[in-house]
Amino acid sequence: MDSSTSVALEPLLSFLAFSLSQIESGFYRIPGSAVVARYVKSSHQNDPGRTILELILVIFAIRTLLQSRTRTDRSGKHFIRFSEKEIDELVDEWVPEPLVQPLSEWEQKDLNSVPVIAGPNGPKPKLLATGKIVTNLASFNFAGLAGNEKVKERALETLQKYGLGSCGPPGFYGTIDVHLDLERDIAEFLGTEASILYSQGFSTISSVIPAFCKRGDIIVADRSVNFAIQKGILISRSTVRWFDHNDLKSLEDTLISVEKDRKKRKGPLTRRFIITEGIFERDGEMVDLPKLVELKLKYKYRLIMDESISFGTMGRTGRGLTELYNVPASQIDMLVGSVANGLCSAGGFCAGSAIVVDHQRINGTSFVFSASMPALLATSGSEAITLLRNNPSVLLNLQDNIRAIRAVLEKTEGITLLGHRASPIIHFCLRTQQQSLSVTQSTYDHEAEERILQDIVDDSVANGVLLTRAKHLRGQEMIESRPTIRIAASAALTRKEVEKAAGVVKASVTRILSKRR
Amino acid sequence: MLSLMTSNPPSPSPSIFKEKESLSQLPSMATAASYLSAVQQADSCAHTHDNPHAPLTPTFSISSSVTTSSEDSVDEDDDNNTCFVNPHTPPTSEQVFTTAHTEFGHCANEAYRCVSKHDYTKPFQEHTIEEPPCYVHFATYISFLILHMLGHLRDFFGKRFAKSHFTHLMPHNGYAPLNSSFDSFVLRRLKRRMDDCYAQPITGIPGRTVLVLDRYSPDYNHTQIYTGGNTRALNISSYNYLAFSQGRGSWADAVAESIRRYGVSSCGTRLDSGSNDLHVSAEALVAHFLGTEDALVCSMGFATNSTFIPGLAGKGTLIISDELNHTSMRVGIRQSGAEVRIFKHNNMSSLESLLREVIIQGQPKTHRAWKKILVIVEGLYSMEGTLLNLPKIVELKQKYKFYLYIDEAHSIGSLGSRGRGVTDYFNIPPGSIDVLMGTFSKGFGAAGGYISGPKTLIDALRLRSHSGPYAEAIAPSVITQVVVSMASIMGVAPAPQLTKSTLFPSFDSSIVAPKESAAEFPGMAPASMLPTWMNLCPSLTDGSEARTRMRRLAFNCRYLHVGLKKLGFIVYGHAPSPIVPLLIFNPGKLPLFVRMMRARPIPIAVVVVTYPATSFETGRVRLCPSASHTKEDIDIVLRACDEVGGILDMKHGSCERWGIDEVCERAVELVHSV
Repeated sequence: MDSSTSVALEPLLSFLAFSLSQIESGFYRIPGSAVVARYVKSSHQNDPGRTILELILVIFAIRTLLQSRTRTDRSGKHFIRFSEKEIDELVDEWVPEPLVQPLSEWEQKDLNSVPVIAGPNGPKPKLLATGKIVTNLASFNFAGLAGNEKVKERALETLQKYGLGSCGPPGFYGTIDVHLDLERDIAEFLGTEASILYSQGFSTISSVIPAFCKRGDIIVADRSVNFAIQKGILISRSTVRWFDHNDLKSLEDTLISVEKDRKKRKGPLTRRFIITEGIFERDGEMVDLPKLVELKLKYKYRLIMDESISFGTMGRTGRGLTELYNVPASQIDMLVGSVANGLCSAGGFCAGSAIVVDHQRINGTSFVFSASMPALLATSGSEAITLLRNNPSVLLNLQDNIRAIRAVLEKTEGITLLGHRASPIIHFCLRTQQQSLSVTQSTYDHEAEERILQDIVDDSVANGVLLTRAKHLRGQEMIESRPTIRIAASAALTRKEVEKAAGVVKASVTRILSKRR
Repeated sequence: MLSLMTSNPPSPSPSIFKEKESLSQLPSMATAASYLSAVQQADSCAHTHDNPHAPLTPTFSISSSVTTSSEDSVDEDDDNNTCFVNPHTPPTSEQVFTTAHTEFGHCANEAYRCVSKHDYTKPFQEHTIEEPPCYVHFATYISFLILHMLGHLRDFFGKRFAKSHFTHLMPHNGYAPLNSSFDSFVLRRLKRRMDDCYAQPITGIPGRTVLVLDRYSPDYNHTQIYTGGNTRALNISSYNYLAFSQGRGSWADAVAESIRRYGVSSCGTRLDSGSNDLHVSAEALVAHFLGTEDALVCSMGFATNSTFIPGLAGKGTLIISDELNHTSMRVGIRQSGAEVRIFKHNNMSSLESLLREVIIQGQPKTHRAWKKILVIVEGLYSMEGTLLNLPKIVELKQKYKFYLYIDEAHSIGSLGSRGRGVTDYFNIPPGSIDVLMGTFSKGFGAAGGYISGPKTLIDALRLRSHSGPYAEAIAPSVITQVVVSMASIMGVAPAPQLTKSTLFPSFDSSIVAPKESAAEFPGMAPASMLPTWMNLCPSLTDGSEARTRMRRLAFNCRYLHVGLKKLGFIVYGHAPSPIVPLLIFNPGKLPLFVRMMRARPIPIAVVVVTYPATSFETGRVRLCPSASHTKEDIDIVLRACDEVGGILDMKHGSCERWGIDEVCERAVELVHSV
């Protein structure tokens, strides 16, 4: 029995021995294999247990490598197998929801009330619906550049030479010399090393943030930042700590606690960013820039500041908060602004050091993967900068008009003016019993307030003043902000026109609110 | 001269240009006199032979801004290459070209036209990934290995001995490094070596040719110094597919008028006070163009995806996305908070098996059924040149009840006999697709994008997408360009029906009136949809100009695609695609290819792409022919590729090979063989 099996196994064994020796000699023919063999032998000699451990490790490593990178549910224990027929039946049974929920009655009304302008937008546009000419307190035309003849002329010249579309992303022959000119103009205007141009204002900061903030980095941000910043933070996957709206004391506390946390965990030094706005889009508050810069330098944070509202409106020539507070723009690591709002053209920019800007040329997603801005919009921006530089009186007009509007509205019953007194956007909300603007849902009825505000807007439009509610995306925002009406001051209107328009708004507020009581 | 001082990159010195110019195979017409005599000659030739194709360019297409080609290019600096200025076949006096030859090539030969339309007698040809021989892959991997090793070595020593260059990569002064040296490795150590091939600024119009600014780098691409000069190159890289982005002509005239009337900016967002009558009428026109109920426009193409997708999907929704979808869609999907699953590129069986799995398994953890499933695909993939298998996906859609979102960024305007994108190409009713998205920055020569679908959907997006309340409205000049482009593709009613058939007697009769699907694509744009101040010239209002352009584009795409294959190259994608990716593989050959094409007697501006836009091993050059190229231009490109590709050992295709002369001669036959 024993011998017969050994006889039967003999060819098999000899084949095994042969192939083993073949593998061995083949193995030794690989350059460097002797070193490996010596290592394995000696380690086995010292500690046979270690060989087994290492073998297990190798097998585990191979298994991990072979596993697919993407998470799949197929391997999960909850995966249930079905036959083909069952699958077909289940597929037939499945009824999806409609792609979108139809608009509610209020949403439909909201949409219908959106003003449409016939012809050019400016200080005195004509409305399509009524054909009436109204005074514009809604559109972003802060420095009165809309319809400027010089800008138009420059745009026309550019059109002749460059056509309209750039027909390519910046990396692939989509960079036109006029883009470089505008980038240089902005950088020189602000006093930074360089700047980079994005083709839409809204997509600028939501692309700048994830270019620098990565997983594991720390972002300390204002609780009430605008929607674009919220989306940028979401995309970045960084750890976020929020501080109270425009409260630098709260910011400092947060910075201290972050530092404490880090010391406690003995974690490595990670990138840390403070993200806030110059003038807040939501309520017109203004940040105390010198103090902010002091905190940033003290706690060694990098500062990303959105100047979408303040660039082109604040300071003597519209350089923004840096000019107003006389803080060098180079102190702000990433200064983001809007060419669309401030320079009345289109697009946005990020100014900073050459390293910061160059990094975005590859890592700013909406820069890299999008067609560059049409040439004529870029030259219009350049022309607007020249106009701002040469006419500082324009912004004095703007400040006069802001003061005039605030003076009238402050005396109006039933509303509360928000924001900084120099802010070119002026928000007001309905005054309630509690003066605190707490944002919890229970203290006020959101939709009811929206309806009242919309009535005010409609009434004042009927009386010749274009107003708008501040529109938000309910349900998608991080915090629900109080419904407000947003007035955008413009230097293009005379003081008299502004006072008259503010008077109309005041009358509308009084009329609508008295009806309600 | 400055370019001589730099060793890297090797840019051509002017003297080389002059020397090689004489070798150029194209007839060079150095003086105006010789050009004129050539015109005379061509004229008499056309008369004696009674060429049926000769007097085809409509004589009434003279717009207010007629320029002859020779005049135009004199004011722009050109030193080189008369072939950019003077057409290969000089026009006869009966042919009137309203464009500058440098901007839009003159081509009167009706044989060089083709109709972009799917042939249902043949099955949909799945795109094949042709593999090169093993050694190519091996060399590619080795190249990357060497590049990586060198890069890491330089980082290792640099961080120790040249700290000043690494401050932003190392902690200093209590700040963490601005960029992680690992994250930026590819950028610093691989891309920087070929930075001279990217982001080269241009000036003027990116039409048939483009003026690139000359630059050189004294420090291995860390800084670029502009010499102040520029070089005219044949432009085979811009997305100006139909060449509507022009400085003169009807398109530009209308845009100029809108700037005069509306100014530059819309001054606000769509929902608060940036909407104007142009936006409203343009949206109606876009919907009419696409054959859908309603449409919404956005001021940036990228943002069209990234801000509208979150308005469509949320928690409880499953998004199924093609693995090669564009970044804008990925950003939009991530912002939406919906679950995502990926299927293999354009692989319908992979999609089907995924659908069968997800529908029955439901949401992870809870196993509740998905509220809805949204499949997001592209009509034409921008890196691969592959066409979506639309007939199959529509079939799947009926069975599995998912919603279909098609991004037509590259296909709209450039595909289909009526320029309506993939739906037109496959002749599938656009109403059967839930969401059609596209951009204006490619085919239409403008900027921005649209999304279209049923009215309820678009109204919801107006209010609930990020763009509505927060993003600036599209500028009046840009939307005007869109309106003119779309109107010129559709034609404007009422228009004399007769002129059309008399214009294209022989070639065109089959596509002038597509009877079988007249109901799906509304025909001409009613004049009421256009602004009253817009005066379009007759060749635009009857749609003949745009139709010619679409047919020229279709010819050029096919010719280039098939031509390259016949020359032995590996080309990805489908032949009708206006994106022709020519595979190079090896990272070292990518910058070489660009520099060699640029240094040719007739410089050619090309774009190479590699990681991260594609996978590591499939580096490629992406050629984008446009309607503005003539057949001779494509010949030039083919000839250049043939020579450079031969030197760089790029010909690994398995297709039957022809010589370059045979390819050029039998171009028409090749195109119709597709």
